[in-house]
Amino acid sequence: MKEKDGIVDCPEQQVILYVEKEDGTYGPIQTGSYLTKNFLEDYELKRKHLEEFLKSEVQPGKSSPIYLYMVLEDLTISELSARVNLRQGKVKKHLEAKHYQSLKIELLERYAEVFDITVPDMLRLMPLS
Amino acid sequence: MTTVPYRHKMAAHCESGTVTSLLNHAGLDITEPLVFGISSGIFFGYFHKMKSFTFPTFIVRNKPGQIRKNISKRLGIKFYTEKFGNPEKGQEKLDQLLEKGIPVAVQVDFYYMDYIPAWERVHINVHFIVVVGKKGSKYIVSDSYFPQLVNLETESLKKARFAGGSMSPKGFLFYPESIPEKLDYRIAITKGIKKACFYMLKIPIPFLGVKGIRTMAKKIVDWPTFARDTEHLSHEIMKINILLEDQGTGGAGFRFMYASFLQQAADLIKKPELNDFSSRMMEIGDGWREISLFCARIGKNRDLGQERLLELREMLNRRAFTEEDFFKQLYKTIKS
Repeated sequence: MKEKDGIVDCPEQQVILYVEKEDGTYGPIQTGSYLTKNFLEDYELKRKHLEEFLKSEVQPGKSSPIYLYMVLEDLTISELSARVNLRQGKVKKHLEAKHYQSLKIELLERYAEVFDITVPDMLRLMPLS
Repeated sequence: MTTVPYRHKMAAHCESGTVTSLLNHAGLDITEPLVFGISSGIFFGYFHKMKSFTFPTFIVRNKPGQIRKNISKRLGIKFYTEKFGNPEKGQEKLDQLLEKGIPVAVQVDFYYMDYIPAWERVHINVHFIVVVGKKGSKYIVSDSYFPQLVNLETESLKKARFAGGSMSPKGFLFYPESIPEKLDYRIAITKGIKKACFYMLKIPIPFLGVKGIRTMAKKIVDWPTFARDTEHLSHEIMKINILLEDQGTGGAGFRFMYASFLQQAADLIKKPELNDFSSRMMEIGDGWREISLFCARIGKNRDLGQERLLELREMLNRRAFTEEDFFKQLYKTIKS
């Protein structure tokens, strides 16, 4: 790749790209992210749609806020259970509204830490019973 | 307040960048491509179904941690390394080292690097940063993916160093302890290239190396079956671009940086034949870049029918064919 083809104006995300310089050597340049410059809006739109859909599913008899954040953060049940240090079977139950509503605050805190949110963020979506 | 005078520099990749910058700090004049090439960083692996991934994915470099281990083995550099069961002890040790004026690399979950824009941050436990100081409740951090030194709250660093999940960091830290006075680059580069050829051509596992590229080509048409809807598929197809370009590769899934390595190696070990391989690797990288841009375009346009995925399959198969030929010839040349 020639140096001129690698230059992208995107101060929001800088990356290092290895390119062919004018003297024929291959070396690094600091440039902008092509994807962020051209497709960030599209990414945000898709995320917004996903969040709206997941929020509509968070209701009694359906999904819990834990399910919403797990999907949003692109985690599998196995990965989430390792991060909150619980058996997969338990985490699976907590994805359902009815089990979530009987959780203790201490357990919610463990989930909140993984999702980098606060417990009230989860409670606003669905209070405990 | 503790601060180690440190020259911060962005790098293509967090592990090779961190190792390079610590070695530079310790007085060794070595570049990131040399570190990457000597440690046989170039690779390919495709994972169609794995417990820790929500969707099929691929990697374009060797296993996390191998860059430091291989550079240590091949150049005789000794690194101090330690893991911790207790987070308090892990933080204490870091503070002690900083007080001694030692910049320290730590393994972290990328998600908690709150200076990085939210859209980039994902839970991945194999990010490496260098901690160079502490000021009040914040650590001063040199992150290869960020243009300047940054501050990170103690609490965020703690969460990041002791996150659970696959490949959890367990507070892992390292720094170079000793560097031999004389380094034998000829042996190190030769071994690094031979091993890279082995990884790409001979690992008897169908989803690794060149075989992995072929497996991905074969399976890509099944990706719609894993997707919730078109937007999800679009997101995953566009992630191919992220994994090849934006997630710390130096462009084209490390192929451009490997071209730079071969060019520097040709000069360093006086093997001019490697210059031809360097140019060829740059062209191979251009092919991967074409795939990146194609994926971004079809993802954005939601043009994700079987016809486009078959087109993508063909592009991947061409990469497999070219890389197989490349690494076979590179192996013959480096052996002679």
